[in-house]
Amino acid sequence: MVNENWDQIAEDLEKQELQAQGGVSSPQLYGQLLAIYLYQNDLCNAKFLWKRIPNNIKTQNPELGNIWAVGKAMWLRDAVEIHKTLNNTHWSDNVSSIIKALKDRIKERGIRLIGRAYSSINADVMGSLLGMSSIEAVALAKEKDWQIDGTSIKPKQISQISPPLTSTEHQLHKLTSFVSFLEN
Amino acid sequence: MASPLEQFVHSVRTLSSQGNFRDLCELLCKSTDILIKNGQHLDAVLECLQQHSLGMLSVLIIKLSLPPPSPASNTNQTQPADYQEIRFTQVQEFISSCVAEQIRYAPDVFAELCHMVTQQLVEAKSPMRGIELISIAIKKLQTSDSHLTLVHADLCQLCLLAKCFKPALKFLDIDITSISIQEGVQFDAKYFLLYYYYGGMIYAAVKNYERALYMFEVVISTPAMAVSHIMLEAYKKYILISLILHGKVLPIPKYVSQVVGRFIKPLSQAYHELANVYATNSTEELRQIVTKYAETFTRDDNMGLTKQVVASLYKKNIQRLTKTFLTLSLSDVASRVQLNGPAEAEKYVLHMIEDGEIFAAINQKDGMVIFHDDPEKYNSPAMLCRLEDEMTLCTELDRRIQKMEEEILVNPQYVKKSCGATEEDITSGQATKISYLM
Repeated sequence: MVNENWDQIAEDLEKQELQAQGGVSSPQLYGQLLAIYLYQNDLCNAKFLWKRIPNNIKTQNPELGNIWAVGKAMWLRDAVEIHKTLNNTHWSDNVSSIIKALKDRIKERGIRLIGRAYSSINADVMGSLLGMSSIEAVALAKEKDWQIDGTSIKPKQISQISPPLTSTEHQLHKLTSFVSFLEN
Repeated sequence: MASPLEQFVHSVRTLSSQGNFRDLCELLCKSTDILIKNGQHLDAVLECLQQHSLGMLSVLIIKLSLPPPSPASNTNQTQPADYQEIRFTQVQEFISSCVAEQIRYAPDVFAELCHMVTQQLVEAKSPMRGIELISIAIKKLQTSDSHLTLVHADLCQLCLLAKCFKPALKFLDIDITSISIQEGVQFDAKYFLLYYYYGGMIYAAVKNYERALYMFEVVISTPAMAVSHIMLEAYKKYILISLILHGKVLPIPKYVSQVVGRFIKPLSQAYHELANVYATNSTEELRQIVTKYAETFTRDDNMGLTKQVVASLYKKNIQRLTKTFLTLSLSDVASRVQLNGPAEAEKYVLHMIEDGEIFAAINQKDGMVIFHDDPEKYNSPAMLCRLEDEMTLCTELDRRIQKMEEEILVNPQYVKKSCGATEEDITSGQATKISYLM
């Protein structure tokens, strides 16, 4: 639900950017679009958006630089840096809601990655990957029902949410057209 | 207003209202001289020709090709910059309001206009402004979504320069099935090649390497009699992307023209050496060769891709480990892949798991990696969905080929040729006749 919302906003912003007078948009627009790209984990587009923002706008609006600092850390997959920048920066109202969603998204992705990639992980490492202390990490592991053995945690795979099934009628239609193709 | 000009306006309006666009095109071709002579009256002419898109088109072309009026000799007091701005607005209005049915009679002229605008924006360093405009222009010219026009390359160029790829991707994502073919209008191969070349670069920039490779393949497999620079550059990028994506240079299709083998390959020596060294799997040697040819790669603007080739070799080496070992310590991974230690190895493995490039689990307690098999069981709804999509694509392709074959079968030229051939064959023998029919 919220997810769709951001996509929609991003599309509108992209359109506005294209129609902007003289090809240069407002810093607010750039900031929001950049943050949404990060939220969508669309780092390539974020990188190129950052590259195409005119230099004078960048210097006048340090917030854009801050957002990109997060993007750069994401590009380099430097989990510690991502969380440090996200938490230690004060975000303006313009982007704060997107940044909040971004934080949740990154944390969720981090947890899922740990579940998938580690059969055992140090609490410290887990904490730094998720931007929390090792005590918080242990608490989170308890909440997830992951086994804890001293300082190491044994994460479990988190099952992917399966996409909604298509309707039977639709399925049948596809099958019909497929068979009719084979017959002809 | 001079009388030949009045006459011109009059005949354009008559022909245009009658809907006699073919004759109108001819008239317009002949009247270039009149228009150039009356350069200062063109704005007035434009006013008179509202609704007559073809007429406006050729007037605008002339107007754009004329040098800006020098302030001294003209009553027009505007500065050159303003003048450019006014012209741009005029073109903008024209492109958004012109009648698509009319301009399709002169797609080459319309494309010329777009090239001019693109050129201007590129020179003015504001490519961003043209993206929307050129997108509209393409939609006006297109008869279907999969129709390649001469203007596509302009859009890609603008998007590349503006570093804004989404608008171009909308067009690039649709496979081209037809190109503007019209009697008397040549589709300049340059714009065809450029479209695919720029398209490949755009896909490479957004890291959609599979599509990028396809785009470059189209460029190098275009029939050619002489070496084109676009083809040469595309070939270099084809090698690099092929290495990143598949870890080896995919054999180029058999139907590429001879020039590729004869001229383009010798011209990309550095890239071939890179590919050869890549095949030895030694990251150390690969780094050496990159340093050796750094100048060439930088000159070709391929340094970024080259660096990714180097990074991809580490990944490929880790991937090869998964085929040999079930479990391996992180320090072993590091030494086998020539990384700087277990920490870096863990980082690589973690990133590859995240991207779904390998399936493994890291055990930090024992410092081990356990490699798994691909968990895909091909029984999920998502897989079914993918299968269905692929099948639809295949059926669609088959239909298209059948349609094209039917078109060729009824083509008078083909019928004449194949019949003529059979007649000759009757004298020369049965055997060859059969081979013709095949």
